Amino acid sequence: MNPIEITQLSKIFNPSSESKKVTALDNVSLNVEQGSIYGLLGPNGAGKTTMVKILLGITFATSGEAKILGTSISDFQVKNRVGYLPENHKFPNYLNGEDVLKYYAKLGGVNSTNGELMNKIDELLDLVKMRQWKKMKIKKYSKGMMQRLGLAQALINDPELIFLDEPTDGVDPIGRKEIRDILSDLKSEGKTIFVNSHLLSEVELVSDRVAILNLGKLIREGTVDELTSSKEIYKIQIDEEVSEDFYSTSLANFQIQKSSGNTFETLIADNDQLNNLIDKLRSENKTIKSMVPLKNSLEDIFISLIADSNKNSKL
Amino acid sequence: MKNILLTAQLTLREALSRKIFIAFGGISTFILLIFALLFIFLNPEEFTGMVKSPGETIDFTKEIAYGLKLLVVAPLFGLGIFLSIFSASSFIPNMLEKGNIDLLLSKPLSRHQLIIGKFLGGLAVVALNIAYAVIGFWILVGLKFGVWDADFLLTIFSITFAFASLYSLIILIGIITRSSILAMMLSYIIFFILSPVLNMRDSINAVVDSSFLKGILDILYYILPKITELGNLTTELCIGEGINQWQPILTSFLFMILTLYGGIFIFSKKDY
Ligand SMILES: Nc1ncnc2c1ncn2[C@@H]1O[C@H](COP(=O)(O)OP(=O)(O)OP(=O)(O)O)[C@@H](O)[C@H]1O
Ligand SMILES: [Mg+2]
Repeated sequence: MNPIEITQLSKIFNPSSESKKVTALDNVSLNVEQGSIYGLLGPNGAGKTTMVKILLGITFATSGEAKILGTSISDFQVKNRVGYLPENHKFPNYLNGEDVLKYYAKLGGVNSTNGELMNKIDELLDLVKMRQWKKMKIKKYSKGMMQRLGLAQALINDPELIFLDEPTDGVDPIGRKEIRDILSDLKSEGKTIFVNSHLLSEVELVSDRVAILNLGKLIREGTVDELTSSKEIYKIQIDEEVSEDFYSTSLANFQIQKSSGNTFETLIADNDQLNNLIDKLRSENKTIKSMVPLKNSLEDIFISLIADSNKNSKL
Repeated sequence: MKNILLTAQLTLREALSRKIFIAFGGISTFILLIFALLFIFLNPEEFTGMVKSPGETIDFTKEIAYGLKLLVVAPLFGLGIFLSIFSASSFIPNMLEKGNIDLLLSKPLSRHQLIIGKFLGGLAVVALNIAYAVIGFWILVGLKFGVWDADFLLTIFSITFAFASLYSLIILIGIITRSSILAMMLSYIIFFILSPVLNMRDSINAVVDSSFLKGILDILYYILPKITELGNLTTELCIGEGINQWQPILTSFLFMILTLYGGIFIFSKKDY
């Protein structure tokens, strides 16, 4: 059993009105494994938030099925084992930081003694570095402080499955690093984390698997490595100046993308091809000075995938 | 049940964070204090002396006690419900704010538990405020005049109930429109205009001779909560006349249940 199992989920908002109709999710299926960090990526309006809201029973799917922790999403009881940080969350503003955690602990079905709860609250406030603000009314909190408190809130019931919608939104770079570390720690405790984000460089750092959503469609799914390293460009420098002829004749079997003097870039499909290139260069008595893989970042992949997908959807 | 009580409790807490209920308690305390002082410095005879012509032998103590109760409870009904509507009309729109409702719905609570909790929590605040004033005054009058009629305590229920029948409408409108202003306006229109007018529909029918209008008025009368009549019932409880008419209570109760369940039904289908 996977903690998240989604089968052909679709969501159409305002289905009866032709002009206001929005297909927020289009036949999306995916599974998230126990103890992993899963990143859901996509441009604004892709349907990321809608997906999470459906899984939590906040919005209802138009068709398809989904289970969290092995239970149908229509069962509200299972949510005492789930944590959630919504995007742009709002807490009752007459509370202070500590009260907020107490409030959501109660709503989250935590039934430990008051002493235990207070310990847990202090522990979480330490974790998100908010202890010193715990008595301050949240009305006065800054954006980043709200976000940190929101993360603590999502963890108050010691959830097995955690949904975070743009968790680092408004958080400074140090805070972001801290949040990433928290996520890694949670993962090592065996918790499953589902993160929505458009901050690709961050997702790339923590996620085991990612899915890319565009216009409600799942356009790519896999590990970060699978997505970023299918084909790589290598930048190669050799010891001596060579003529352009050398590239067009001796290296005719390789896809040379750029060349000038002793430096060239080539697209390499796999390790065999890479080694063939090295053998060829050595047999031509060339000394290799350096060889650098110009790996595609997740961002490059993302941008080209989204561009492709938008082109296709217009056809 | 546990979840309902929990949301009720949190609603109560939200309400107590508002100045208005605190102010309400303050006004009640002030009035109770004034009467306490009056009662300390005036003898029962001086009260009865105000209404008794010299030489009469009937004991007016009870009448005085009733009069005083009326003096306190009639404004309590009007002002209490007025302020309660004002404050309660924002409960649902606040709850439905983006970023708040998402989080609430992600908790292990069902949607109907959430609404029933909101309903009971709102009623609890109002009932507490009313009970404080009514019980306080009941004790003062009891100590002073020795009149301890339990009927008077029923006004806590009649006032809270009149509010409840409007509060269920406030919840329904809040869920549909997310607008506290609209919910508040509609309640005030029923409270101050429709209910008093419909209560006089016999007199209206006597002047305007139209069976169509008569039909409309009748339908509206039976559908809408009967705040004016619940007010009259409250005053009758003050003066020891008990409950004479059940129809306004039953039809208002029906209105309350239907609007509340209408609200829950719509809420449980909506996307947030
Ligand atoms: N309640 C709603 N009614 C109508 N349309 C909606 C509603 N909620 C979302 N949508 C639409 O569904 C689409 C997906 O929205 P969603 O919020 O899921 O995007 P997102 O991927 O989370 O975007 P972002 O990165 O900006 O947070 C958008 O086109 C949005 O306008
Ligand atoms: Mg979003």
